Parts: sequence; structure tokens; C-alpha cells
Amino acid sequence: MFSPLSEKLWDRTRAAHLLNRAGFGGDPGEIDKLTAMGVAGAVDWFLKAPGDDELFPPPSLLEPSTRFEFKKREKAALTEDDRLAVRKQLGEIEHLSMLDLRLWWLNRMRYTTAPLREKMTLFWHGHFATSNQKVNDSWMMWGQNETLRQEALGKFPVLLKAISRDPAMIRWLDLGQSRKDHPNENFAREVMELFSLGEGHYTEQDIQQAAKAFTGYRIVPETGAFRFAERDYDPGTKIFFGKTGAFTGDDIIDTITSQPQCARFIGKKLWTFFVAGDPSEEVVQGFGELLLSNGYDIAATLGVLFRSEAFYSPHVMHHQIKGPVQWMIQTTRMLEIPLPDAKVLENSLAALGQVVFAPPNVKGWDGGRSWISAASLLYRYNLAAYLLSGKARVLGGGGTKTAAIPLSKIAPESVRKSPDQLVDHLAFRIFNYPFPEKDRATCLAFLGVDHDAENPARMPEKKPVPKPIPYTDAVVRDLMQLMMSTPFYQLN
Amino acid sequence: MKSPKEQPVHTRREFLRTSVLGGALASTVPLFLEKTFLCLDTMAAATTGQVTTGKDGTILVVLQLAGGNDGLNTLVPFGDDAYYKARPKIALPAKDILRISDYAGFHPKLTGLRSLYGEGHLGMVQGVGYPNPNRSHFRSTEIWQTASDSEQILSDGWLGRYFDNCCRGVDPATVGVAIGGQTPQAFSSREPKGVAFSNPEQFRYMKEAANDPAAADQFMRQMNQPPDSEHSSLKENAGGSIGMLAGPADMDGSTVEFLQRTALDAQMSSDRILEITRKTKSTVDYPGSQLGNSLNMVGRLIAGGLPSRVYYVSQGGFDTHANQIPAHDRLMGDLDAALGAFIADLKAQGNLGRVLVLSFSEFGRRVTENASGGTDHGAAAPLFVLGGGVKPGLYGAYPSLTDLHDGDLKFSTDFRSVYATALERWLGVPSEVVLGKKYPLLPFV
Repeated sequence: MFSPLSEKLWDRTRAAHLLNRAGFGGDPGEIDKLTAMGVAGAVDWFLKAPGDDELFPPPSLLEPSTRFEFKKREKAALTEDDRLAVRKQLGEIEHLSMLDLRLWWLNRMRYTTAPLREKMTLFWHGHFATSNQKVNDSWMMWGQNETLRQEALGKFPVLLKAISRDPAMIRWLDLGQSRKDHPNENFAREVMELFSLGEGHYTEQDIQQAAKAFTGYRIVPETGAFRFAERDYDPGTKIFFGKTGAFTGDDIIDTITSQPQCARFIGKKLWTFFVAGDPSEEVVQGFGELLLSNGYDIAATLGVLFRSEAFYSPHVMHHQIKGPVQWMIQTTRMLEIPLPDAKVLENSLAALGQVVFAPPNVKGWDGGRSWISAASLLYRYNLAAYLLSGKARVLGGGGTKTAAIPLSKIAPESVRKSPDQLVDHLAFRIFNYPFPEKDRATCLAFLGVDHDAENPARMPEKKPVPKPIPYTDAVVRDLMQLMMSTPFYQLN
Repeated sequence: MKSPKEQPVHTRREFLRTSVLGGALASTVPLFLEKTFLCLDTMAAATTGQVTTGKDGTILVVLQLAGGNDGLNTLVPFGDDAYYKARPKIALPAKDILRISDYAGFHPKLTGLRSLYGEGHLGMVQGVGYPNPNRSHFRSTEIWQTASDSEQILSDGWLGRYFDNCCRGVDPATVGVAIGGQTPQAFSSREPKGVAFSNPEQFRYMKEAANDPAAADQFMRQMNQPPDSEHSSLKENAGGSIGMLAGPADMDGSTVEFLQRTALDAQMSSDRILEITRKTKSTVDYPGSQLGNSLNMVGRLIAGGLPSRVYYVSQGGFDTHANQIPAHDRLMGDLDAALGAFIADLKAQGNLGRVLVLSFSEFGRRVTENASGGTDHGAAAPLFVLGGGVKPGLYGAYPSLTDLHDGDLKFSTDFRSVYATALERWLGVPSEVVLGKKYPLLPFV
């Protein structure tokens, strides 16, 4: 099922496919580097990339101690108005803090030297979908993000245990209120339904019993850290998946992850994220077995996948719709420009439907075709136009001029002398994949080449005037805008 | 000069002929469109009998009051001592209430709505909510938007499920229009999807970004044309295309076809919306508030004959935790003025009888006022149903102000009964496929 791809078949298209799926894409130079490594070398580069923490100093967030001070001041306030004023100030600081955190992570994705780790962090964020709309604490959201990053490529059971102790998760799923005499079932339900097994693979009794085991998980208000509160914990006997014992939360997780269904469930999500949606039963079974046989080691499992022939099938390559974050990061990497300013970034990702740290609900983003609507598709086209032209009013005026794309690097003089050369050169950078003949003909027609004289019906009514050679920056930019305003550009 | 209502409404086919392909392919229609049409018709026949559009059929306008509107100070139970006991600072004096019964009446700022009530265009559904109410804005809004149970997480919106199940025959993809920057979760669906925009001038391809805008627009359309068109040998007038395809065709197709279809839908919707909004002006004055502008836009789209049967608008700012009186006065005033203008506009157009406005808010507010002269998150609340087809009156029972659930009003009408009524009795579609089960219908339409 996962027979390796022959090194002889390794080429720029496949290298770009790996770069797009395992990471956030790149410019032709990066694609060439991976091409030169061979498939085994390129996959190793992704798996063994050293951590890049030192490149990204922690964001400046509202720290728990400061928040605690605010809470004290709020309590000490003598009048209701004073109390409200303190609360309002805290709310404003928290809002700015959250904007910083979001920008910090998006920039980390943009400039990371360990792209697979960031890509998996994004995957886990969608999997353990936690929203700051309820958590309302950017410090905790950052803490969860770091946990996801740290365990992103490790063993899934380790990550799941870390997540059960994660303060943002504890608040998100009401674990902090769960105590011996009143266990809250929210986390116990989701840990099985959404995080590990899927609906229908456990009973209501399993949920109630698991809820008892997850009692006593607390957050220390002064530090925002996890604390286990012995006196709120229910040490009694639980019956879980037919076994009886005084199970702890970690025991519950061990039982869950020992189910082959857990590997199938996680495997299916990984497959959908990296390969293609709706995998067959055979794939789910096979990939689940692979994950289990690797002891849930994510890096090892993805290594086999990324080296496999199946991953480079023509039914897989360039068949996935880029998510909004992927689109944004990949586009700026491809154009070799920084991310747009914070306001444009915030507005765009909201309009396109993927605001990190604010997934729509505990199920995360549906992904795939759900990213695309008439409005979001037009928005993507206009966003491309904005990034290429820097004309802020393209997005309704919200934002400043963006960085100019390095046109002389993207289209050097040498490719501006022939229409075919220019179109093919740009198409490789933009699509990294063979361009449909019909669209190629349209691009040539845009340059004024009557490419398809036999089939005039395909040409627009008014023939454009051939553009003078060598092509100017304006022509190059318009051609790029045209290429990016297509269904084809939405695919990876 | 044609009146707005007589403006040409393009069909998908006409659009392709005239806009995308510049007339060159007048006699051919893309294969996938033929497939889509056949399938659409089959499905539509199975659900609604025939396809109705917002050009001539009934229209639903959903109005979200975001933040949790204080129902007790909207439809005020001035005849209840418990109201004055619970709210010594913020209860509205009985003498100011615009009475509709010995027990309840409207907020003093709702003079327009009070008149509409008298004219027979307004109904109030009282005590609307759901079991095990959630007091989080985020979660309760989601419950209302997806019509889920309190503990159930659904991704698709209730209107989205209506689009999915009942609108596949609607031409074109403009099945629902939300005025605002983001698509409301109520619209979330597989396909077809509604569109959302705050300004129609932004809901279009910004060809001006290019150095050669005319060429950019022309070639963009060319690049976004459907895949099979150049190979299609199916002649529309040959009549053979329908017969050639036995049984319902595959709706899904490939991902790239899906994108191309959406791109075409986007262009069609955008072109049509721009055409209408540029040509159609309101004959009444709307207030300059956000809601006023949104309803003005909806009024123009209805006047211009957009086929959408669902519109979605919202008004924010209802989260009145502190110093509620002036804030809520302003909100009620804005709401009243905007709705009053909208109804007057529809009346002038002759479309009032075709439109139902349905308001909702994620929750009402706590019965007892808080220490800051405001109210905290509550549960059940009344909602408005407004339009020419509405049977005026009060529906459901006003919840008791003393028999409470955790300090909140107990609901007497499940919000999904209101949705079911709008679906079955107004849009004329079966509600069970949309809502998952049968809910008792209300007689407000």
C-alpha cells in the first residue's frame, strides 16, 4: 500500500507537491533545493528539521500575573463604575494581546525553517479546536499552541495526555469545574468523540465513567498553570471499556489509544489533511495499521506516507483546496513578500473563514470544499490582486499598501522575450503543476498571441493587441493576477 | 425605461451565452450545466413540486439582534408587579408602554412597530427558547444558527440545510444573500451556498487592480469558464441532451469542476447584484444606521427581482450589561426606524405581501437587573414576525416572571417551531428535512 516512490520519478513537480503539502509552499529556489535532494533526502529534510524556537522570541502577551493583578483591582474597586473601568481596560489589553499572538503564529508559519512542525501544529489546532472566544486568555492559547508544536511530530498518546492538562483546553471544555461530587462530562465526551475514536465507538456509560477519572484538573489563577487538585479528584472505581479499576485520566487515555479504532480515526484525519478527503475503508484500515505499528509516532508515519508512490498519484497532486491560512502563507512565500499588515491579515482570514485561535466550534474547520463560496472565491481573487498591486481599495480600502513583489527576480529579463517562455516560467512559480492547455492558451492570448487559430470560438471576441516585447512589469503583473484569479490556483 | 420589477432576469444559460463566452458559443451549453439542470429539476420535483424563486415567490428576511436582546424591555409585561420588583432601576414605566394588551406592550421607542401591529402586519411570538439554555453568546448563537439541540454540535446552518435540501432547482446560485462582511453560520451548507457582502461594489472582481482592467476582466472570465464548454457538442435546441442522460447525474464532479461552478456562480451573482443595485433606487428614505443601510440594500434587491428567497441582516450592540436604558433606547429606536422604512419600501413596491421578516437574538436577558443598571445573559425572549402575510397577534404564552429556571424565563415556544413555520407555511418547503424532526407549527402566517 505504501510502496516507495522510485527516485527516478522524483522531479520538480513532486518536490513542489511535498513542499506544499508538508509545509506552506515556497519559491522556485526552494523547490529546486528539494528536487536536488531526491525523495528520501527531501522527506528527511522535513522530518529532521531542527527546531526554530530561537528565530521566534515569545510574543508579548498579557501575562497571568498581570491579569491576576487586574482581577484583584477589580475586586477591590469601591464602585460599580470603577469595577467596570478595570474590566474594560483588561478587555482592551487582552484584545491587543490576542492580535499579537495571531500575528506571531502566522509569521512563524511564513518564516519557519521547520515547516512540517508548523503544518502539524496547524493540524492539531484544527483537531483540538479551541477558541479564544470562550477561553478569553491569549496567554493560555499561546501555551496550548506551544504544547501542540512541541508534541506535533511525537507520539499521539503523549500529546493527548498533555492536552488533557492544557489550561486552555480545561477552560474550553469546562474541565475546571469537574469535581468528585459533580463530574462534568464535556471533556470526557469530546476526548472520545472528536479527539480519538469518533462517534459510535464508546457508550454513554464510558463517558460518565471517564468523566469521573478526569476530575480535579485545575488552573492556578496566579500563574495560569495546570494543577491537580487531589481533593476534587474521584479516586473510586470506574468501569471503562469493560475494564474495572481506580483509573486516572491518563489510564483512560491509555485505554482509548490502545483501541485500533483510535489509530484509524487519527489516521483518517491525517490522510484527509495531507492526502485527500473521503479515504476508502481500505486506506483508513491500512493507514491506521501503519500508525499503530509505528507506536503512534507521527513523524515516522508521515515519513512512510511522504515517501510513498500513493502520495504522488495524479489523483492526489493538485487536487486539494488550499485552506485560507495555507493560501495566505503559501502565496506570500511564493511571491517572496512579507505577510500583509495586521489589519488586512485579520480581515482577510475572517472573510475567508479561518481565523486561528477562533475555530467555529469544537469540531474545528470542515475544510475541503467548505472553504469555498461565491463570496470567498471572489475575495481570494481580489486578495491576490491586492498582494500583487498593493492597491488597498481592492479590499475595500481596509489596509495599507503592501510590500512590492520582486518582479525582476520573479520574471528576469531572459524570460520576457517570448510569450511561451514568460507564461511557462510564471506558471511554474504560481501553480507548481502542469497548467491546463485551455488556460495556457488564454494566457498567451492575453499577451496577444493568437495561439489557437483552428478554434476561434475559444478566443474572446475582440482580439487583444500583441503586447510589446520585452514584456514590462505591468504586463507581468497583470498576467500573474490573471493566473491567480482562477480555480486552478486554489488547488495544491 | 423599465420599472425595476420588469428588469431582465438572466438564466444561467443566457448568462453563459451573453457574458462569459461573448456570444461565440450561443448554441452550446456546457455539459456540466446540462447535468446540473437535469439533476436540479429532478430533485426539485421531489421536494417542492416546482421551483419557486424570490422573483415571484415568497421571501424570508432573517434579522439577527446580536448580543442578546432584552426581551422583557422589548415586549414589556407592564401588567406584572414582578417585572417592577425585579427591575427597580430599569423597568419601563407602565404609562410609557405602547400597549397591545392589559399585560404587555411595546418599548416606547417602537412606535412604528406598534402601528404595524395595529395595521395587522406584525406578530409577536412570546417566550421563545430551547431546552437547557446556554448562556454563552458564542454557543447560543451557534445553537440558533444551526437549529441544534443544546448539547448537539452541528456545522451546517438551518438556512444552509434549506439551501441544500430545497433550493437545488433555483437558478442561479444566489439562494440566499447576507448583508455583512461574513457569511452567517446559518448559511453554512454544502452546496449551493448563499453569498455575503457588506457593499455590492466589493462583491465583484476588482479588475481595477490591473494595469489593463478591461483585458483583466475579459480574460479572467475566460479563465473561469466551465471546463467542458469547448468540447460540448450538446445543442440546446436539439433537445437530445436531456434524453442522453439517464437518471440523476452526479452532482459532485471533481474538485476543479466544483471550483469552476462556484466561480461561475460568483460572477453571475456579482453581475446581477451589481446590475440591480446600480439601477434600483429606493423610493423611501431609510435611516443611515447600519441596519437601515442593510435593509435598504435588501429592499433594492427585492425590487430588482433578485431570485434569492432568503436574506439575512443584523443589528449589533444588544449586550447591555451596564447602564442599559440609554443604550437600549437607542437600539430600539434604530430598529423601529429601519424596519418602518423597510416595510414602507415593500409596500411602495407592492411586495409587502411576499415578504416575512423574522427576528431572533441568541438569548433574552436575566429577569432581575444587575448592580450596574444593566442585565446579564438570560434565556427565553419574544421575537418579531413582520410582513404582509402575517396574522397579527401574540403567539405562545408570556413566560411567568416568578416561576424561573436559574433566574431566567422558561421558554414556552421552541425556536425551531418558529423556523418550521417559516419553512412550511411561508417558503412552502418540508421542514423535517431541514430541522431533523417535526416541530409543531404556529399560526402566525
